[in-house]
Amino acid sequence: MSEPTEPPRGAATSAAVDTSRDRSRAAQSARVSGPLRRSGDWARRAPLLPALIFMIVVTQLPFVATLVISFMDWNAYYPDERGFAGFANFRRVFTDINLRNAVITTIILTAAVVLISLLLGMLIALLLDRKFRGRGAVRTMLIAPFLIVPVAAALVWKHALYNPEYGLLNGALTWIWHLFGADRPPQPDWISSMPLGAVIAALIWQWTPFMMLILLAGLQSRPLDVIEAARIDGASGWEIFRYMTFPHLRRYLELGGLLGSIYVVQNFDHVFTITSGGLGTANLPYTIYQIFYNAHDYGRASAAAVVVVIGTIVIATFALRTVSTLFREESSR
Amino acid sequence: MSAPVATGRRRRGAGWLYYVGIAAIVVYCLAPFYWMVVSALRRPADQFSNALLPDPPSLDNLVAAFSPGNGFGRALLNSVIVASITTVLTLILGISAAYALARLEFRGKGTILSIIIATSMFPGIAVVVPLLQLFVDINWINTYQAMVLPSMSFALPLAIWLLTAFFRQMPFELEEAAQIDGCTPAEAFRKVIMPLAAPGVFTTAILVFIAAWNEFIIAVSVVNKNELKTANVIVSQFTGQYQFDQPFGTQMAAGVVVTVPLVIAVLLFQRRIVEGLTAGGVK
Repeated sequence: MSEPTEPPRGAATSAAVDTSRDRSRAAQSARVSGPLRRSGDWARRAPLLPALIFMIVVTQLPFVATLVISFMDWNAYYPDERGFAGFANFRRVFTDINLRNAVITTIILTAAVVLISLLLGMLIALLLDRKFRGRGAVRTMLIAPFLIVPVAAALVWKHALYNPEYGLLNGALTWIWHLFGADRPPQPDWISSMPLGAVIAALIWQWTPFMMLILLAGLQSRPLDVIEAARIDGASGWEIFRYMTFPHLRRYLELGGLLGSIYVVQNFDHVFTITSGGLGTANLPYTIYQIFYNAHDYGRASAAAVVVVIGTIVIATFALRTVSTLFREESSR
Repeated sequence: MSAPVATGRRRRGAGWLYYVGIAAIVVYCLAPFYWMVVSALRRPADQFSNALLPDPPSLDNLVAAFSPGNGFGRALLNSVIVASITTVLTLILGISAAYALARLEFRGKGTILSIIIATSMFPGIAVVVPLLQLFVDINWINTYQAMVLPSMSFALPLAIWLLTAFFRQMPFELEEAAQIDGCTPAEAFRKVIMPLAAPGVFTTAILVFIAAWNEFIIAVSVVNKNELKTANVIVSQFTGQYQFDQPFGTQMAAGVVVTVPLVIAVLLFQRRIVEGLTAGGVK
């Protein structure tokens, strides 16, 4: 065994639960020998502390502050009325029509982006999961949208694609119409006719490569000998996909979906850039930003932020479970 | 690819339909970006042209983007400063933390790993309110550190996660041998592990730099002086509130300038980046 801290190899770990893992780890660590064992527990934790303390100070403490502020009446316009508000801010989050709409918009936005980019990502991953000339180059190009500066990507969509006069979409429509000899192609104003759809399409474009990468990794970890055997036994391509590939991919789909949801829920750049939150596209992060900057109502903004965090924690709990399962499988492989 | 591809499917070959599919995907992924570049290279007078190639190509938009009134050059410098400082500091903290997580055995390791992952999923918007309040109180509004510190906290979990995966791949015997030969654990780390871990550290550095370069919500919140805004913020404010009286070509040129360094980095280091993105969680 190369590394004493690894869980036992080859064990059927997919169903293993956290407790059994901890127990096996504890048993392992008791057996660890060598010079590292000699230094005290705290000496071993020391290298970890700066990063940990930093993260707690910069993210967790401010969040505690957010939590406190969310229970307070605190509006910069009325500095004298600062005080304890109880659940009033939260009540307003769920009764205020703007905030309630923002919650709904956030859910629609997240669900649409994650589901569609997962589907597209899977199709692309299936296409890329075989050898052809230029595969490396194609894969590189496909990753580009994920790494482009989000603000720049949103700008591209807003101006270069959606613009009714010189955007690529309407340009393409004109070209196709002329190709078939028709004039007067439809020239919709994409952003005002379907604002939320415009934001969703731009986000899907950025997230598809991420999903593709995760799913491609999943496809390439399939046990190919088993699939080959199934093919020899006469299974059709669809049957192999339905009964072998898809079940294997399920966990990767979950992982992509959960990680995607966590990040899309927080999306701010696209909404800010493409529609400035107008036309019913204001999601929760954008609304929080508005409450904070325009209304200066720190209490209400914080309450909405707490709602976002709770939503994220719910998603993240599932994500963590999935990630740790994968992590275990990887180390046991 | 190390994994063998199913030979049966390969033998049947990739038919033309297959290549059409690949081409469609490539177009989908690259067309928006291509159109941005083409729009940036048109003459301002051709702004409304739909031609597939700029004819004649011109750099006027690029020149306009850098005109002194926009403060774009300074903003790029700010972006480089903020992203570089963030990357260096994140790596220093991240390497020591990841090494501890990958190599040393102590109680509560699982909990710490969970906290780290949980932090990475923490929405930036949730901490903006108190952070801003704090930065106002300690006079940090319009400073680099007000952008660097929050950005680090978003990048650190990613760095720790990736570096832990890299350290775990390295055989443990390396340090043991070094220590038997008389190195202290710190020396073993510095002289044996670090040189070997350099590729992993490099990958992490690229990804952290990209994350820091892309950071927007904190940068837009804590700075209101033009001389200190990052390129992202300046570019987004080119657009302003009214899209119709805006210099569209100039914005596209600025967008290209902000994105090109990342595209070049992706092209140069694509294997490493793919490795990094898929490391740890999914191998």
